[in-house]
Amino acid sequence: MHTPLSYLRVFGTFLRNSLVRDMTFRANFLIDTISSTVWVFMNLGFYVLIFHYTPMLGAGTGWGKYEFFLFLATTLLINSLMRGLFLSNAVELSERIRTGTLDFLLVKPIDTQFLASLGRIEWSAIGPFACGLLLLAYALAQLGLVPGPATAALYVLYVLCGVAIYYSLMIAMASTSIWLGRNRALLDFWFYITNFSRYPMEIYRGPWGTPLRHFFTFLIPVFIAVNVPARVLVRPLELRAPADWLLPGFALLATAGSLVVSRWIFNRSLVSYRSASS
Amino acid sequence: MRFARASTSWTILRISLQERLVYRGDFALGTLIRFLPIITQVFLWGAVFSAVEAVSGSRRPVAGYTYQAMVGYYLLTMVSRAFSSMPGLASGVAREIREGTVKKYLVQPVDMLEFLLLTRVAHKLVYYVVAVGPFALVFWLCRGYLPGWPGPEVMAAYLASLLMAFLLGFFLEATIGMIGFWFLEVTSLLFVYMLLSFFCSGHMFPIDLLPGAWGQAVRLLPLQYLAYFPTAVMLGKVTGPDLARGLCAQFGWMLFFLIAARVTFHYGVRRYSGFGG
Amino acid sequence: MVIIETEGLAKSYRVYQKREGLLASVAGLLRREYRLIEAVRGINFTVEQGEFVAFLGPNGAGKTTTLKLLSGVINPTNGTARVLGYVPWRRENAYRRRFALVMGQKNQLWWDLPAAESFRLHQQIYRIEPGRFERTRDELTDMLAVRRLLGQPVRELSLGERMKMELVAALLHSPEVLFLDEPTIGLDVVAQHKIQTFLREYQAARNTTILLTSHYMKDVAALCRRVVIIAQGRIIYDGSLEGIVDRFGGEKIVTLQFANGQPPADLARYGEPLPAQPPRAKLRVKRGVASEVLTALLSSYPVYDVSVEDPPLEEVIAAVFAGVEAGEGMTNDEVRPR
Repeated sequence: MHTPLSYLRVFGTFLRNSLVRDMTFRANFLIDTISSTVWVFMNLGFYVLIFHYTPMLGAGTGWGKYEFFLFLATTLLINSLMRGLFLSNAVELSERIRTGTLDFLLVKPIDTQFLASLGRIEWSAIGPFACGLLLLAYALAQLGLVPGPATAALYVLYVLCGVAIYYSLMIAMASTSIWLGRNRALLDFWFYITNFSRYPMEIYRGPWGTPLRHFFTFLIPVFIAVNVPARVLVRPLELRAPADWLLPGFALLATAGSLVVSRWIFNRSLVSYRSASS
Repeated sequence: MRFARASTSWTILRISLQERLVYRGDFALGTLIRFLPIITQVFLWGAVFSAVEAVSGSRRPVAGYTYQAMVGYYLLTMVSRAFSSMPGLASGVAREIREGTVKKYLVQPVDMLEFLLLTRVAHKLVYYVVAVGPFALVFWLCRGYLPGWPGPEVMAAYLASLLMAFLLGFFLEATIGMIGFWFLEVTSLLFVYMLLSFFCSGHMFPIDLLPGAWGQAVRLLPLQYLAYFPTAVMLGKVTGPDLARGLCAQFGWMLFFLIAARVTFHYGVRRYSGFGG
Repeated sequence: MVIIETEGLAKSYRVYQKREGLLASVAGLLRREYRLIEAVRGINFTVEQGEFVAFLGPNGAGKTTTLKLLSGVINPTNGTARVLGYVPWRRENAYRRRFALVMGQKNQLWWDLPAAESFRLHQQIYRIEPGRFERTRDELTDMLAVRRLLGQPVRELSLGERMKMELVAALLHSPEVLFLDEPTIGLDVVAQHKIQTFLREYQAARNTTILLTSHYMKDVAALCRRVVIIAQGRIIYDGSLEGIVDRFGGEKIVTLQFANGQPPADLARYGEPLPAQPPRAKLRVKRGVASEVLTALLSSYPVYDVSVEDPPLEEVIAAVFAGVEAGEGMTNDEVRPR
């Protein structure tokens, strides 16, 4: 039936079709790319401003200016991958559920979640993604860090894990449209939840902060998404003590768990699908 | 004639109020949810201040703000924004122009700006009635961060600045929407405005943080009066002659954009009708 | 060979009271009021290979729901069904490769891209071998005369052209079973006719099993020998088109032409007069008494010409639907007349 290679080929067609479409609406594409890039720079300006007044985020956390830039670059990479690959598809999934055009996805001889998640690629996310890479290079240079091949590989792995965790959350939220009806607030909700992980999780401390940190680490693991890869770079893994394995190990577990749970939610929601009709 | 106009205005207001009240549950929940990003900012600043303390050995204020004052600042900007934010105003106007539904204002004896203003007032009134609960709750929980009740002059100045922030925000966005008479795609302009507004209005951080020339440049813009200025008044950061000057400047900007909105509407309509649509 | 069979297939669902606003709907999650809608109440039928079957029924009768159950889009509440030996709602890839679904009111082609691009995506999803794909595509687009439009963005095509493209897309993988839900809705007469011709030729050549739902009698009359009437979630008739008139058409239409050119004034006592141009007169007469009336007319008046016809099919069917809505149900024994 379908091999991983054929899935890849279909994905290639998605990339191609989306590119053709984006180029057809060149003006919109340019505006999107430029505006998201400008947004990145203005945020950067804010952080530069903060570090004007303080050497570090949180006493003794180790997140100085350029370390934080590494964190920021990681956020950019993950967020732009989400925006490019999955965000419009999640919004469109809600629309398809509402208008009943999800039917067409259900009758195709290919995994429905695959079709629903990747059908539309937003190439304008390349802007912020490139910014992320540039910022990464800049910050590494300023810190004088040259990551070895093992660290680099781990970094890529954990960035992908971060994307997987974010994706799971997003697809689970989009699937709930089947039960909750019109889900206009999907994008807003997404913003509110991921907003918590804009900064290193160490800033959440104290009687209110610690429970929050635990919640977003163990229950809805959005903190794992960005923090783990960023830490891998900033404090290269010295996996001597068992305790050092804890967070990275848990990250892999959380990734697998999120993917499994979200797929279950997705499939379960399809059983309740009503298919709005004429 | 006057009476007829007043009663029309009242009808518009009343109908809009009824329309909005249906969504009151939505509003209450939405209001609480809108406080969520503040949580992150509060923790961020907590981290900043603790680092400053660790380095310098004492609790030093940052740009004139202690940690408590900083949290209080963010809470109070929520109030300013409750007055000055106009969701969907500019894009709504632009869309009506693009789709041609703006014609209904031209043939009916209803002034477009007045209509929009009244509906916006209705929206805000309902919002305040519903939001008072969540706001009061949050403010009471965080009362340690807020300054005590100010004296009557400061209170009066604060209320005046809030009302003017509302009008300024309204006319500013209305003017941007009116640009739709000349350019069909206002979205990019709107985005630039949103971006500038976010960073230069005091929404994201107190303008006092901006050093030297940056700070001076931003203070030349009218955007600071949307979020920063009323908050600064309430926090007692603007007093005496500065306060009077600030209020006058805010009033001046408001007047400027009122005229701008009227003028762009007038010439925009002329241009629009020229198409014989 | 039996391709489709269902037994007791039923689908009902709850419609909850819709509440405005987010808070109300969240509160509504705790305590909800609902109505139970039984869209399909136990449907039994079988379809053999190569049959072209039409589903007729008033709006909300359950025709489209049945189609969706058979294509696996929704899950049933009760009952079983098998298409090509598969249980449709398991949505196995092996099953999905062998059928196609076309819905007249929904589009699946990429809106901003030429149809050719959507077809290419189809090829990859269905894993159609390139040579065969091109042959099939060319054949189909030639038959529907849309080949020159392949490079145009779908949004620029007319409604009829878009529908033809949707048909091509559905047939690219040469499905053995085709589900058509109102394929000609909203199209002009010419486009409808072209699509009907195409479907007839295609089906004759490939022996595809086709299930069609439609409101247009012309579609049904042109294409299907077998008609299944569904009303209120149940099958109330399953047989030939002519059989419907035999079964439900309680009247005949008698057209008379009088020798002296003038229809008599008292025709009304023989039946219900219908509008007609003199020298003709038309009467609606109950079936049972038709021959008596005819005898009486022929003996009483100088009749130049006479013809006896069935009422138009649409009329009969509309009356059936109206009767169903008024509560005149059929027992299961009366369903199959053959």
